[in-house]
Amino acid sequence: MNTQVKENATSQVLDAPLIARDIHKSFGELEVLKGISLTSHQHDVTAILGSSGSGKSTFLRCLNLLEVPDAGELIVHGQQVHIKHNRLGEAVPEDERLVERIRARLGMVFQQFNLWSHMTVLENCMVGPLRVLKQPKAEVEERARYYLNKVGLSDRADHYPSHLSGGQQQRAAIARALTMEPDVMLFDEPTSALDPELVGEVLLVMRKLAEEGRTMIVVTHEMAFAREVSSHVMFLHKGLVEEEGAPEKLFQQQESERFRQFLSTNF
Amino acid sequence: MSFDTVLQYGHLLLEGSWLTIKLSGLALLIGAFCAMPMSVARSSDRRWLSLPVRVYISFFRGTPMLAQLFLIYYGAGQYRHELQVLNLWWLFRDPFYCALITFALNTTAYQAELLRGGIQGVPRGEIEAAKAYGMSTWLRYRLIVLPHAYRIAFPALGNEVILLLKGSAIASVVTLFDLMGQTRTIFAKTFDFSIYLWAALLYLVITMLIVRVWRRLEDRLNPHLRRRAVQRSSTPAVAVAPTE
Repeated sequence: MNTQVKENATSQVLDAPLIARDIHKSFGELEVLKGISLTSHQHDVTAILGSSGSGKSTFLRCLNLLEVPDAGELIVHGQQVHIKHNRLGEAVPEDERLVERIRARLGMVFQQFNLWSHMTVLENCMVGPLRVLKQPKAEVEERARYYLNKVGLSDRADHYPSHLSGGQQQRAAIARALTMEPDVMLFDEPTSALDPELVGEVLLVMRKLAEEGRTMIVVTHEMAFAREVSSHVMFLHKGLVEEEGAPEKLFQQQESERFRQFLSTNF
Repeated sequence: MSFDTVLQYGHLLLEGSWLTIKLSGLALLIGAFCAMPMSVARSSDRRWLSLPVRVYISFFRGTPMLAQLFLIYYGAGQYRHELQVLNLWWLFRDPFYCALITFALNTTAYQAELLRGGIQGVPRGEIEAAKAYGMSTWLRYRLIVLPHAYRIAFPALGNEVILLLKGSAIASVVTLFDLMGQTRTIFAKTFDFSIYLWAALLYLVITMLIVRVWRRLEDRLNPHLRRRAVQRSSTPAVAVAPTE
């Protein structure tokens, strides 16, 4: 399969496809991120935990510049994003084209799936590689079908998102991200909008991806997933990293009282 | 009620219908063409882009189309010399073009406003996903926002087609022999009131045809909103036991 070849080719490019240093972000008066750093190495699965309002989703959205950080350093695929401030004092990226290129290298999976509802599942998967990466159609279609098969949706390729269950929609969204062949996959609470009985099928797919060695950053409430699948855990509290480390250690013994409390209420 | 009048003058009514369809059809096409960029400008965050469009739309929505028609048909005569210099007099001399310009300007405003509603109705998450996949603003509009906006605005746009078609009857006051214009002349000759009923019937037939065509198009445009009649999946979904 030629996708396999591609994966190996990109894996040699860089050891750390995503580096974020000291990211700050405020919304008006409210300082949501007070300096968070993260280095994502090849094959890392980083789980970001925290109660609501801790800034974990905002941090993830800063990584692909859906929110533009006010300060800090962001290096994706070896390219640094420079931030300037416009007349209104809002942070904006200096080079919009670079941002678009960077986003195309980071696959994003949303809490609400956000599939394009007027396109079939297959079209959803194909439109990015075709129109953004400008790859040839035959190759893109083959890859889209390969990944749809991988998430167990090969028989739903011609369906519209509204005809699928939530779990199927989220798996389709994962296939859409995979078809872009991103360096890093970002997951923003991918199971939070799902009925409890549908959570398992999505986590199963994500587990498979982690086992394949994909680089992932996952904001999640699924503690079992964080403990068993991730290679690195970050616990955010009020815009700062309260505690982080390897899951084996972190779930055994917590230094932070808050993290201990968080675990006892969320497990 | 006798059929004599309609049998004698029926061909004129049909000719008038054709002019009505031609006039409103052309105006609608021009409107569709201009409304799209205008609705994008109207939804822009940049005030210098959205403000002129807003002024334009409120003028054409807020004043009677008859007044707009008079403004152009009679008003242009005041500037005959300037228009001749600009080589535009042939447009404003002809009542057909005057009516066409008025209707086009008018429907552009309405269509732009309807489309703006459609643009605002596009789910924010889908736009965000388009951003997250590296689409430029241009690609985002072309692939996600506008296809969506047209689908949302489509039923309302069909309404606008019908409104303009009926509204085009005022073309008859600037000497055009559209359906209404023909009807008025026939009535002036015959004093047979029934001709108005026949004209009304023709308007009704045309609008009903439009409604039918529009429904077809809408169905075709929105396969994702239709319920799937037959599941085309190869593996049956979970087999449900008939008990319970």
